[in-house]
Amino acid sequence: MNETNNPNKKMTSVMIGLEIHVYLNTKSKLFCSCSTDIINAEPNSVTCPVCLAHPGSKPVLNAKAVEHAIKVGLALNCKINNNFFFSRKTYFYPDMSANYQITQYEVPVAENGFIKLGEKKVRIRRAHLELDPAALIHPQGLGKSNYSLIDYNRSGFPLLEIVTEPDFSSPLEARGFLNQLETILSYLNVLMPNMTMKADCNISINGGNRVEIKNVSGFQAAEKALAFELARQKQQEKVGNKIEQCTRLFNADTGQTVEARKKETEEDYGYIFDPDLVKVFLNNKQIEKIRNEMPELPQQKIQRFVSEYNLNEYESNVLCNNFDLSKLFEELMQKKVDAKITSNLLTRELLSILNHDSLKLNQVKIKINDLQELILLIKNGKVSDKNVKQSLINYISGDNTPPKEYLEKNGLLIKEIDLESIINNVLEKNNNAVLDYKKGNNKVINFLAGLVMRETKGSARIEEVLEKLKQKISE
Amino acid sequence: MGRKESLKFFVENSKKDFSLVEENLHKIILELNASQNKKLNYIEEYDEKNVLQQLNDLKKNSSKGKLFGVPLTIKDSICVKDLETKAGSKILKGYKPLFDATVIKKAREEGAIILAKTTQDEFGFGTFSTNTEKIPKNPFDNERSCGGSSGSSAAFTAYTSRYHASIGESTGGSIACPSSFCGVTSITPTYGLVSRYGLIDYANSLDKIGSIGRNIEDVALLLNVISGEDNFDSTNIGKKFEIEEGSIQKIAIVKNFFENCSDEVKKIVLEKIDKLKEFVKIEEVELPLNSEYALSAYYIIATSEASTNLAKLSGLRYGVQGDVVGKHFDDYFSEIRSNYFSEETKRRIILGTFTRMSGFRDAYYLKALRVRTKLINEFNQQFKKYDLLLTPTMPMVPPKFSEIEKMTPLENFAMDLCTIPANLAGLPHSSCNAGFSKGLPVGLMAIAPHLQEQKLYSFGKVMELE
Repeated sequence: MNETNNPNKKMTSVMIGLEIHVYLNTKSKLFCSCSTDIINAEPNSVTCPVCLAHPGSKPVLNAKAVEHAIKVGLALNCKINNNFFFSRKTYFYPDMSANYQITQYEVPVAENGFIKLGEKKVRIRRAHLELDPAALIHPQGLGKSNYSLIDYNRSGFPLLEIVTEPDFSSPLEARGFLNQLETILSYLNVLMPNMTMKADCNISINGGNRVEIKNVSGFQAAEKALAFELARQKQQEKVGNKIEQCTRLFNADTGQTVEARKKETEEDYGYIFDPDLVKVFLNNKQIEKIRNEMPELPQQKIQRFVSEYNLNEYESNVLCNNFDLSKLFEELMQKKVDAKITSNLLTRELLSILNHDSLKLNQVKIKINDLQELILLIKNGKVSDKNVKQSLINYISGDNTPPKEYLEKNGLLIKEIDLESIINNVLEKNNNAVLDYKKGNNKVINFLAGLVMRETKGSARIEEVLEKLKQKISE
Repeated sequence: MGRKESLKFFVENSKKDFSLVEENLHKIILELNASQNKKLNYIEEYDEKNVLQQLNDLKKNSSKGKLFGVPLTIKDSICVKDLETKAGSKILKGYKPLFDATVIKKAREEGAIILAKTTQDEFGFGTFSTNTEKIPKNPFDNERSCGGSSGSSAAFTAYTSRYHASIGESTGGSIACPSSFCGVTSITPTYGLVSRYGLIDYANSLDKIGSIGRNIEDVALLLNVISGEDNFDSTNIGKKFEIEEGSIQKIAIVKNFFENCSDEVKKIVLEKIDKLKEFVKIEEVELPLNSEYALSAYYIIATSEASTNLAKLSGLRYGVQGDVVGKHFDDYFSEIRSNYFSEETKRRIILGTFTRMSGFRDAYYLKALRVRTKLINEFNQQFKKYDLLLTPTMPMVPPKFSEIEKMTPLENFAMDLCTIPANLAGLPHSSCNAGFSKGLPVGLMAIAPHLQEQKLYSFGKVMELE
């Protein structure tokens, strides 16, 4: 019996779709001139009659947000609509100052796009602009406080909602998409700094009812939430329970999803065109102008790195999937240093240190000159791999001494003459081992090399040491 | 009640002699207080200290504008900084705007004095200014309505003998109607000509701020000041009304708009039109689509928009507040909205929520929008041949309050039959007094093509000949 014929072992078909909310990088809010710089602001101090929905106030659309949205649409291979408008989505909630959200319903800025995830094409249904509600604060924790506080500083922030078709077949694939999306958005420089992307994750198995996990903060959490939900649904199905259409919430602390409410019907938001705003008309010239001003995108850069710097596809991918890393690489290339060594240094050593410390490149101080010096040392065979790493760890997470200075201070640079005499010295003192080797015990060479390395404090390149040892012994 | 000279005359003289401003203001304050004592209910909010402060500031001000020293009354729904502004609703009690509406800002820049807020139907929901706590009375007969919803803007304009004008607002006829009932002149401009920033919305795609005065010159002067560019209102078209003559070659009366009018109204309006025939050629046309569908399309669009506008009024950040602690926000919102909205407001919220619900949205809201386009086209067809279209403003003389009480909501809505088509189409229109029937004023409405307010100005001058 093969697997597909066995009802107990049949493959689960998984459909996952994502709705991603991205904060756009604009100086002012989406419909008023309030600043989006609220990091150190007192609650409710960055507000005005418009974002507080005072009677008589009216929204005025932020043109920069539209430009950003178009850029994203183009990068996601979407059709950009020549005219679009905004609608009112009405629901009563204390964080929504007008009790309706200004969003896009019938015609979004962009629709019908795709991005390639390896060989797979993930379809993008639409990308639309909308405003963010205020932040609700529950002083004693959600469900425990008998009151909530509202901070309207965030009210009116520009959001772009990107909706995919249900094209992912695993949580991991969804995560891969989110990573790639983030890379594209960082290339476009449209992301508001210090704001996490949020996603609503939809998942169904075997053509069953769709469950929506609302408002998951961060990509790792999205993958975890989907993985938990997938396991839960499989379990439910196994014990013969029907999976109900519902909305669930993800608890990042427990890693579990909990039911928020049943969804018998779609909610009725009573959409109308927002009559305070006018249709946005774009001619093809304007769209082309934005297209021409688009920066290079990851896929293009990967290809260019391969052809321009002779990198292989893999390293180019690793470099280019991190916008800041690829930028650093190119800055080093301007200094005419070796591409291969630089690529190795950045993709292996630097990335692993950053990952180990959960740091992002833009959070650490790196000077081009410092790296340039280090690369030259490597190129000239003056430093061992081990010490490259050690000097870099100290540079990133230690006292920030430039690598070259650090290596010099600690005597970790390889000195040719020293190696020669150290080897002679070691061979003299270990005559027996030399004899063993000559008798054919090849392993002894490693023992000797270890002694040499110890004497050089690890500053020698192991390959060189081995080569020189063999040479000396056979002389 | 009579004064012959226009505001322009007053402003010119006031610039030379400030005592004229002081005298006019002090006398109008006396009249305002007298009207309050007589319980005519024209004034919603009045702050004498604030008014006298403005007078003081004006005295020191060297730049003397087009409305220098002119006291203005303002429909309550238009925000005036630090002055209670509640659009005639209990739910906004105590709300003092943090900013001046653009029209107020522009009027102040031209030296106007903001005198008082006038009473109106709650949020503009009404034709008789009876949908509010303080019901204003018609200056010609206190047993009768002064019209709505900008009722007291027109009524106080008729009541005062002093130099004054009023800023009103029309969604479906709320400037023209009270102008007709109170025998004064008004222009409701093209949608988008006057900024709506600072107007408490009824239905945003229909709302127009306009001017009410004793004669067409006053109305034109005020419209000139309040119109023009404003970056705070996305629907503002950035043009200013300039006081210039507009060419009028040919006029038509809209025959089928007369059908539902009372005989006395028909008589007065047709007599006036006969006299106009000495000056200009007048023909007859019909607007069958507008007669048939304007009212329904209007009420669907207006209530759909209104029901979303009013959602923000929930006792949370301004206006009335209740005891919130320990309650679920849904219950709190319901409590506030149940207690402080009037029956008429609730009716329109329910109607407007229904017409945009999924399942009904296509049949009502979206269809009404498509109908609106067809109705605009019907007007535009006629404007290829005619410079102006004429109709009675209201189908009857001002009714008694006792008569209004007996009307069903539908009869009430039908009162706006003549005013709604032009409002729905965003067309500029004026109402001028055509005469009196048994001492009660009858208005004549002129409708012009979009942005052709100059034709209304010229027509108003012709109306005032004699």
